[in-house]
Amino acid sequence: MDGYEPMQTMEEDDHGPVIKISQADSVRVKFELSNADISFANSLRRVMLAEIPTIAIDLVEIEENSTVLADEFIAHRLGLIPLNAEGVEHLLYSRDCDCDEYCEHCSVKLTLHAKCTTEENMKVFARDLIPSGDRINQVLGSPVISDPDGQGSLLMKLRQGQEIKLECIAKKGIAKEHSKWAPSAAIGFEYDPHNKLHHLDMWYEKDVKSEWPPSEYAHLEEPPREDEPFNYDAVPSHFYFNVETAGNLPPDVIIAEGINVLQKKLAGLIHELSEEGKDGDYDGPRSPEFNGGGDGWGQDQGYTTPGYGAGGNQSAWGGQGGTTPYGQTPYGGSGGWGQ
Amino acid sequence: MAPKSKTQKETPEEVVASEADVAMTEPPTSHQPAVEDEDASMKDGDPFDDEEGQNAEDEDEDEEEEQQRVKLLPGSTPTAASFEFLEEGHTLGNALRYIIMKNPDVEFCAYAIPHPSEAKMNIRIQTYEGTTAVQALEKGLKDLQDLSDVVTEKFKASREEFAARMSA
Ligand SMILES: [Zn+2]
Repeated sequence: MDGYEPMQTMEEDDHGPVIKISQADSVRVKFELSNADISFANSLRRVMLAEIPTIAIDLVEIEENSTVLADEFIAHRLGLIPLNAEGVEHLLYSRDCDCDEYCEHCSVKLTLHAKCTTEENMKVFARDLIPSGDRINQVLGSPVISDPDGQGSLLMKLRQGQEIKLECIAKKGIAKEHSKWAPSAAIGFEYDPHNKLHHLDMWYEKDVKSEWPPSEYAHLEEPPREDEPFNYDAVPSHFYFNVETAGNLPPDVIIAEGINVLQKKLAGLIHELSEEGKDGDYDGPRSPEFNGGGDGWGQDQGYTTPGYGAGGNQSAWGGQGGTTPYGQTPYGGSGGWGQ
Repeated sequence: MAPKSKTQKETPEEVVASEADVAMTEPPTSHQPAVEDEDASMKDGDPFDDEEGQNAEDEDEDEEEEQQRVKLLPGSTPTAASFEFLEEGHTLGNALRYIIMKNPDVEFCAYAIPHPSEAKMNIRIQTYEGTTAVQALEKGLKDLQDLSDVVTEKFKASREEFAARMSA
């Protein structure tokens, strides 16, 4: 736990990050992360947004469609229906499964069959998607129904005589691949409500105050005094999160799972680094001394982009000084980074 | 993907061959057709000709499973190295850069995503004498893990405290 001393402007607990929850229910969690760096806070936001596995419809086989909507339109719409992702950690990714296309270990099957027989138009809802076949548990892949009428999202409307009959295959995935797998409807992320750090321009037409009403977190931080000079050393340190679920995972789980995904990422890389230390992998990240110098440090082919230089010390990052506008830096090499 | 050099291939090839020998009783789990019987005589010989091609395919499959995700870029020295991470982006890059910079033995650390349509992230680490860039990277990853552990614990604690406050 050594290494991350709190930032300069820390008034509270000097022992690592602090979390304060201001609201928590089945739909959202609002919390404040403080004593942490913006880079970590943003990693948490990004990972919750894009890398938590959930389940969503990925394949649709349409047997009958006499509605006014095109097959592709309906298939896309079905993909966006939130499905309950409880227990999705026990579901395999289809690409990792032994089956040919999909099976009960890597997918959930849902069927939809509706025909309008009355003169009145018929509405088809997400609740009409019926899970069938073996499932990991009784809820995984069921459509999320959170409205008081218990109907779920409206899928389409049918006129008299129109019919829809289809089969959907829901698969595990992450939102980095397609946003239909996002567990969160939205993640609010805010810091510095008084814009003391000038990270925002706050463009206005006539009057700043009325055109930029105070943030809901404004009362939690000291507003700047009229004559306060700009602090060039200040860094953001309080981050206000608002994690709202789409219904597939409880908001608490989104946060816990987000950190979990980050942990797995790190563990995988640590494992890879230590593995490579043991066996004699050629281009593994090891010190050149152990490797007999030049060769092995990446093959000759594939690294000829001008950015990195073709070989050895000529690269923009470690070469001899003097060729860049920055010239010789106190660090010895030529600072391609300008630092 | 650029074709791999010959030197890289040699080790995995042997592994593939020996695995195939052991698992003969069971059908292959991959979708690849079982070709062992066709030219079983070649198994003992040197891996030449079409065997080469066949193994290369098998290897490609293994490659996808256990793709090497960290690579040292050319021009690196023990105390000044650039690493290339595959399938990583700002999510890991910025937090890792921050935590590595916190290490007092590190002189410089920065990350970059050279091209937005290539899923690659580069980290440059320069250390003072006494530690290496690889060690600094490993320490950074572990420190970030510890930080994540702390945040998980803190979140659980405040969530329980909040629940208790609400029910009181
Ligand atoms: Zn399967």
